Amino acid sequence: MADRATLLRQIDEISFTVNDLTLYLDTHPTDTQALNAFDLAMSERKQLLEHYSREYEPLTMNCVDTENNNQTGRYSNYPGQKHFTWSDGPLPWDNQGGVM
Amino acid sequence: MWSYEKRLQYPVNIKKTCPKTASLIISQFGGPDGELAASMRYLSQRYTMPDKAVGGLLTDIGTEELAHLEIICAMIYQLTKNMTIEQAKEAGFDAYYIDHTAGIWPTAAAGIPFNACEFQSKGDAITDLHEDLAAEQKARSTYDNLIRMIDDPDVREPLKFLRQREIVHFQRFGEALEKIKAGLDERNFYYFSPEFDKQFVPMA
Repeated sequence: MADRATLLRQIDEISFTVNDLTLYLDTHPTDTQALNAFDLAMSERKQLLEHYSREYEPLTMNCVDTENNNQTGRYSNYPGQKHFTWSDGPLPWDNQGGVM
Repeated sequence: MWSYEKRLQYPVNIKKTCPKTASLIISQFGGPDGELAASMRYLSQRYTMPDKAVGGLLTDIGTEELAHLEIICAMIYQLTKNMTIEQAKEAGFDAYYIDHTAGIWPTAAAGIPFNACEFQSKGDAITDLHEDLAAEQKARSTYDNLIRMIDDPDVREPLKFLRQREIVHFQRFGEALEKIKAGLDERNFYYFSPEFDKQFVPMA
């Protein structure tokens, strides 16, 4: 099981890559090298988001899966009970994104 | 349509309470060259942009600016959430405290409230993209000033990240302006309005 802070940092980093490549591709939509880098980064981002939401809280609405999210039970007010997992986890503006 | 992602674009973890620093960086939330004005500028301008790719770029940069104002607000929150009345007084944060307590409200560092007149949506692609280029440089200068004045590395690192993004956005807006101009009559870019006089402008 990957450490929550490490996993979140990996998501931040790969998402930044996707984000920066998005702006580049907006003005260079046929740059093959950038397109390959985008595809690679996007696939890694999806895997990491999926992995994270299985062990911890879902970061996007598309990751919400009330049966399978947050198997570690971290930052949940309803451990062991079926509930809306979108409300699990700390708020992003709390220190360290709540990773303490 | 937007969807929220429950994380900051760049992590913020400020350990030391400092209402003085909060009162300075708040300008990048609600000040004349702040992130709120930036996102509203680009997201307002995009509808009438005559080039689809440029409208798309304005959407993506406008969206990133929303993530930036969230970073700034998270910093203000962490700098002030545990402040005492004494700290607020010493820092000159007492006037803000009277009206907003430790709530987050868009204002410039000098106390001028956020105002839509801080940005333009002119309905002219050349005018708007020049405004956007200038806006990115003004925001970069403001970050430079903040980084010069603030010592706490927990505050400086997110500010340095945000400063770099202004430079990337400037580069992209420059490319967008070149793209718009490439579709116009190079002998006189200003003969028609590229947004209003649609019948004269061969664009997507």
